[in-house]
Amino acid sequence: MISLRDIPECFEGIIPAMMTTCSLEGEPNITEISQVHLVDDRHVALSHQFFNKTQRNVRENPYASVLLFSPRTFDQYRLQLRLDHSESEGALFEEMAARLQVIASHTGMCGVFRLLSADVYEVLSAEHVQGFLLPPDPRLDPPRRTAGRLEAMARELRGLQAISGRVNRAVCLEGLLESVLQALDEELGFRHSMVLLPDERGRLVTTASHGYGSGGVGAEVPMEEGLIGTVAARKRPMRVAGVGAELRYWRTIRAELQHAGRAPATQEIPLPGLPDAQAQLALPLLIGDRLVGVLALESREAMAFDVWTETFLNILANQIASGIDRAASADDEAELPAGAAIAGGSQEPAPRTRVFQLFRNDDCIFVDGEYLIRNIPAKILWKLLRANAGNGRTEFSNRELRLDDSLGLPEVRDNLESRLILLRKRLEEKCPEVQIRPVRRGRFELQIGCRIDLQEKDSAA
Amino acid sequence: MAALDLALVEFLNSGVVLGCASRDSRLVPRSTWPVGIRVEASGEEVTLFLPVATAEEVVANLRDSRRIAIVATAPADHRSLQLKGQVLEERLATDDERSQIDLYRACLARTLEPHGVPRASVLRIAHWPAHAVRFRVEHVFVQTPGPVAGQPFQAPFRPPEPVRS
Repeated sequence: MISLRDIPECFEGIIPAMMTTCSLEGEPNITEISQVHLVDDRHVALSHQFFNKTQRNVRENPYASVLLFSPRTFDQYRLQLRLDHSESEGALFEEMAARLQVIASHTGMCGVFRLLSADVYEVLSAEHVQGFLLPPDPRLDPPRRTAGRLEAMARELRGLQAISGRVNRAVCLEGLLESVLQALDEELGFRHSMVLLPDERGRLVTTASHGYGSGGVGAEVPMEEGLIGTVAARKRPMRVAGVGAELRYWRTIRAELQHAGRAPATQEIPLPGLPDAQAQLALPLLIGDRLVGVLALESREAMAFDVWTETFLNILANQIASGIDRAASADDEAELPAGAAIAGGSQEPAPRTRVFQLFRNDDCIFVDGEYLIRNIPAKILWKLLRANAGNGRTEFSNRELRLDDSLGLPEVRDNLESRLILLRKRLEEKCPEVQIRPVRRGRFELQIGCRIDLQEKDSAA
Repeated sequence: MAALDLALVEFLNSGVVLGCASRDSRLVPRSTWPVGIRVEASGEEVTLFLPVATAEEVVANLRDSRRIAIVATAPADHRSLQLKGQVLEERLATDDERSQIDLYRACLARTLEPHGVPRASVLRIAHWPAHAVRFRVEHVFVQTPGPVAGQPFQAPFRPPEPVRS
């Protein structure tokens, strides 16, 4: 009997498994199942969502047989199982239910089906199906050199050390986040990543992103929605491999429901980053039990994130969380080290006029008719622009913002740094003539390279 | 007894992923991957090809119990059918039948390649010599995930839904 822990990739749900059961009358039944969950070396769990023939069979005859496939090698494995018990609460059930809802929410199916139980099976035998694959044909499948596991682990450890160093050296929140995401790419090859920070409305706001072009910062994810929202709510890391296959599976169910006149009312929620992501990993950034953000990674490779990746990135997530917390509680007005202040652009005023409109009822600012920013960062920007228009003032401090009740900053853990980062990045993207530049820790400068027209209205409607 | 219509025959011949289920005398189930399928001219019987290398126990079960179930699934849209029936004959596949097995493998490789399974891997599946198991189709069930999964199949077999990926 092989050890199930030696074939973790078979439990990622990338290639569907096949499950066979038998009724008491002796009628075999076979069906495809999207994922088998590894519980421990002697147990696996299967999700029970529908009352179907498989469910009826195992409840009268507890034996089952499952064929699994390695997405790396296409080797086949056979598990002979016996239903042990069903769980409808507890850690395993919650984990499986959360995973189900993550993908369901991306296909507008959240809440349409719920996990009825996590069925735990005892593994009676686990075998590598010898002879399923013939030896490789070098003409069709030339041998490739792959890094040995030790070599790969050494590289990952060096990467971890390098990133950890960058976290330690970061002097401000913006520098910390940008440096870490850049390093994840350079040191470990994770090309698409983002950090989302929670705001006072219970939403997660993308504050830094890497590998998505110029857009992305400012995008919001509601708590408990999709992978990122679920990770934030549960405060536990989650991985989804074979995203494309999972989405196809749920879209099929949705199409079948539509055909049966039972279409769910909710719309599909786009994936947060890559439209064609095949693997996602999200890790909560925690200080004790307090969520300070979420680190999310995506890849077009289905097997980009495995148990090992999740484990070592969790170490990094803890360091990033500490860095975020440190940056948020740093002295308000210390000098920034040389080179830490972000260089400003041209000071020459351009003839162009940019129209900023504040919609008071929505706490939202548009620039030249295009959405710019909302909520507290919008109030901050309006305060700065009005001060500049009134008396030409350009330098401001974090402290004075914190003391301004009209901005609505929370008294504790106000996330002011992250709000300023968001504001700065949205301006860079939508109105580069207006910039916010740190000059010292806790102080920043408003740089305006155009004429400004300020307009206030009640609402956009 | 159920007769397979043209749409079902085309579906089964389109390189779908197949699975074959059996059980022993203690009602312990066991399955294997077939390497080919042929719907006989009447539409009421199907011959399944099972590799000798990996299907010995399943073939022994089929010989003994005569009960068989097969599932056919299109990975692109998860449309799926299950056929159940009575085994009529079990023998070694003939040289003439090998071309049908090769055709299925080529179709399966094309089917799975977009889903991340390299063509070379599929073509490495042990496939010859093979058992030929002919069975009479008694029931056809819809196995596509959703509200009608597990219900008896009723024509027509809908074309694939558009898949966004």
